Amino acid sequence: MSATAPVMVRTESEHGDHALEFGVLRRYVFSTDHKIIGIQYILTGLVMALVGASLAALIRLQLGWPERQWTFLSQLFPKGMPGGVMTPEFYLAVVTMHGTIMVFFFISYVLVSGFGNYLVPLQVGARDMAFPFLNMLSYWVAFLAAVVMVVSFFVEGGAAASGWTAYPPLSAVAAAIPGSQMGQTLWLLSMAFFIASFTMSGLNIVATVFSLRAPGMSLWRLPLTVWSYFIAAIIGLLAFPPLTAGAVMLLLDRHAGTSFFLPAGLVIGNQLLPNQGGSPLLWQHLFWFLGHPEVYVLILPALGVTCDILPAFTRKPVFGYRWSVWALVAVGVLSMIVWGHHMFVSGMSPFTGEYFSIATLTITVPMTIFGVNMMASLWGGALRMRTPMLFACGVLALFGSGGLGGLFLGNATADMQLHDTYFVVGHFHMMIGGVTLFGTFAAIYFWFPKMFGKVMSEGLGKAHFWLSFAPFFIIFFVQHFVGIEGAPRRYYSFTNYDFLQNTRGENLLISWMAMLLITAQFIFLFNFVKSLFAGRPATANPWEATTLEWTTSSPPPHGNFGAAIPNVTRWAYEYGVTDVNADFAAQSVPSSRVPVTA
Amino acid sequence: MQTATFSNQDELQRADVLRLGLWMFLSTVAMLFAAFASAYLVRRASSDWAQVELPSTFGLNTLVLSAASAVLEAARGWGMTRRWRASSAGLGGAVGLTIGFLGGQVVAWQQLMSQGIFLPDTPHASFLYVLTGAHGVHVAAALLLLTVTTVRTWTGLGRRRFARWAVLMDTTRTFCHFLLAVWLGVLFLLSNY
Amino acid sequence: MPMPHDAEHRPSSTLESGLLALLFAGLAIGGVWYGAGISLPELASRHGAGIDAMLNYLLLTVGAIFLVGYCVLAWLIWQGARRSIIVSRLATRRTELLLSTALGLGMALIAEGGVLAIGMPVWAEYFGSPPSNDVVTIDVTAQQFMWNVRYPGPDGVLGRTNPTLIDDSSNPVGVDRSDPASKDDLFFQNEFTVPVNRPVKVRLHARDVIHSFFLPHFRVKQDAVPGMTPEVVFVPTRTGSYELLCAELCGLAHYRMRATFSVVTQQEYDAWLDREQQSQGSQP
Repeated sequence: MSATAPVMVRTESEHGDHALEFGVLRRYVFSTDHKIIGIQYILTGLVMALVGASLAALIRLQLGWPERQWTFLSQLFPKGMPGGVMTPEFYLAVVTMHGTIMVFFFISYVLVSGFGNYLVPLQVGARDMAFPFLNMLSYWVAFLAAVVMVVSFFVEGGAAASGWTAYPPLSAVAAAIPGSQMGQTLWLLSMAFFIASFTMSGLNIVATVFSLRAPGMSLWRLPLTVWSYFIAAIIGLLAFPPLTAGAVMLLLDRHAGTSFFLPAGLVIGNQLLPNQGGSPLLWQHLFWFLGHPEVYVLILPALGVTCDILPAFTRKPVFGYRWSVWALVAVGVLSMIVWGHHMFVSGMSPFTGEYFSIATLTITVPMTIFGVNMMASLWGGALRMRTPMLFACGVLALFGSGGLGGLFLGNATADMQLHDTYFVVGHFHMMIGGVTLFGTFAAIYFWFPKMFGKVMSEGLGKAHFWLSFAPFFIIFFVQHFVGIEGAPRRYYSFTNYDFLQNTRGENLLISWMAMLLITAQFIFLFNFVKSLFAGRPATANPWEATTLEWTTSSPPPHGNFGAAIPNVTRWAYEYGVTDVNADFAAQSVPSSRVPVTA
Repeated sequence: MQTATFSNQDELQRADVLRLGLWMFLSTVAMLFAAFASAYLVRRASSDWAQVELPSTFGLNTLVLSAASAVLEAARGWGMTRRWRASSAGLGGAVGLTIGFLGGQVVAWQQLMSQGIFLPDTPHASFLYVLTGAHGVHVAAALLLLTVTTVRTWTGLGRRRFARWAVLMDTTRTFCHFLLAVWLGVLFLLSNY
Repeated sequence: MPMPHDAEHRPSSTLESGLLALLFAGLAIGGVWYGAGISLPELASRHGAGIDAMLNYLLLTVGAIFLVGYCVLAWLIWQGARRSIIVSRLATRRTELLLSTALGLGMALIAEGGVLAIGMPVWAEYFGSPPSNDVVTIDVTAQQFMWNVRYPGPDGVLGRTNPTLIDDSSNPVGVDRSDPASKDDLFFQNEFTVPVNRPVKVRLHARDVIHSFFLPHFRVKQDAVPGMTPEVVFVPTRTGSYELLCAELCGLAHYRMRATFSVVTQQEYDAWLDREQQSQGSQP
């Protein structure tokens, strides 16, 4: 028997004929094909990443060299950097938008919506998502959200500047900070569109996984990638609405004189405001009810794709598959009941704080199980050191070190000292900026041949890894300790505090590493674009992997699998099997054994 | 092995998918109203609460919406027994009653405003407008779906492709009944707390 | 294009994996070495010892796990790339169970154990300690971008405040001057003076947006939330001049909302109080 099902040549399926009749607009712009939509999300997300990374460069420029004049930048940002020195208002808008864009418009677009849309139907053996029209709509609403967010930079007062967390009253009163003029309103509108778009994507993922699996694809045969997107989508669907509710109420507080979040006695801009009775803490609860699960929505797909990439390069199944699935489910459930660990010093009742601390630390169990399983997947393997593997190992490493920081922050007592310091910044960057970023890169390098039918340069890919990992690690590892030394976050500079003067050296190191890291990403961009146009043609299964997308052509035809949907006979990790004449078998290769799974 | 049709989902599978999609969507909507409700209860504890008396129009609107749901159920029953004219008429009635509900909500708002009770005045009023407004937006979406169903029933979808009609009808009716339940919950919250 | 057969890939695979292993091991060792040299700000409060105990426990355990974990990862990578055939396909159920649950529960023990054994007692004591009658009460109103500090004076009672009376130049906190209790109140901006070894109670208000009262040397942090009056109680144990920072984004000058927090001997404190009472006591 051959290792893979016969490679599906581009066939003229019934729908394929129709597809060829569509003009460019229906095929590539308003396509309902999940693969095109996935690619649209990925490309949009990569463009937003450029914006987000530029903002990061500006932040590190300010923090590394606080008094320096950057005259060339004063021409680019005449209002924000007059005379080449950044104003605090510009700095805070940059910080706010960096976080917002990276979280929602880069990682969520590329990794969650982009790869989610691309991979889920292929990996479950479906021809498309459950609701293709809704899917197309979700992308264009997402596009609109991105446009509104970028436009917010150019309104009076500039972009929102109250942090990605947008705590009122700072975010509710225009006079409190320039960004709280129209910038904050546009931020809220953009987020509303984003949430609508995400809801549509999430519905599609859940419905597709539940109902459109190919014959023989039982739940226990699903790749961990699919499980992770499935659970992430469910979390997202349940967690986003409170933020929608909060955003509606914040918009009303801003523009309609209500007092959802605004208490009595506020004096801002020399005016006593007429509001009364509102609670700023109410916003925090609503925001973090979404905010905490959101990070799991981002990280679960990164972990899931890593679990599918690793086996292709260790040539053995992922370790502890069922345990990992249950760990994902457990994390999904637990993530929804621990949001208060962002609020230990907020004025919330200490008893509530005790509960949230103890509950938060239970997440260490499923996450450790998952992390151990990933690491044990390397055990006894025959490693092939290719680019996706390097980035997958990076995910593993950063998940470990970043996750360990969670033990500090979930601990209410420790958090008293560490809350709102650079320890938090270091922690979440290692997780969201590290695990998800390296997971995204691993996914791109791994699935690029499948998506575009071209091969990316291995050499450039490896250079990208080697020039990225160490700088990344150093930056965010050191930031944990800058926080331990007492440096708060969202500070324009630390020059006003004697006891923080010895963090100058660390901040300088971090800024240099950041410039190196950001520059290294251009290697990736160059590789990506060059390979898109001039890469060598890719075969159907260049990595010798087992999941269903590798049984069809690169790129797959419209309808994914040609004339016939695959009939699934195997688990997703048939590496090292002995009943075929290769060291692996795709999921649809007929098996003479009794149906197996882990 | 499956055939060469692109859309290999037979009607049964399509029905399953739509039902699942709808219930996931409804759970999202439920979470939205749960969030508003919990915000309401938190805010309730404040000293400046000042309960507003609900306009009696709300009671009338509740009857109208209930009638819409009832007529919708009847329309479904008639359709299931292939009585298409009755079904179309029932659906048209449901559309009319739903429009009536929305109109009645606007009237209720106007009544409040004519009493001088506006959105920012007291927290109870704020939540009243927000909750009824959010509910109204969803009812408008349901109305769209209801109209589509009515038109398709009237143009004979049920005769041509019964299974597809049944799926459309079930989706519509679940959504509408769900929104009735949400409305009853909202009204209960606004009146008693 | 088919992947090169692994045997052909052997030399560079081994080199690359060796470098990767070295990278992980090196960063871990370097990281631990660097981290071991970093210290918290000098401790100056009583309850802070408990917080430091919690932090040090975590630094030690997490540091060890981190180091061991990275070295294991490095070793697995180094070992794995030198193989061309896998050792075995699937681990036994027992191995999966043992490894996953043992390590998972072990981690939970370290994390939850730490919080239950060390953390919660500190937390409970910090929030629950009964008031003592030698407490120094200070009323703090945070605003964009300074700290307004009020002492109640000899009568021990703070004057009433009313937001309608707020005037940025003369009355930033809105003290009701008609209230007799306000006559002997002492008022400062961005400076605190307290006696050592006596409990200090800070009552926090915020006039405009959320701020946060952060004294790193005292391990004190509490958000000042408009509409609420949270309190912190702590005992300074070392004399000296310390810095107060704002730890919740509050606007443009969030980064320079600095105050000096001076801890002096009881005698110096009494003398200071007298001086201030005389110079400020004559306020109308």
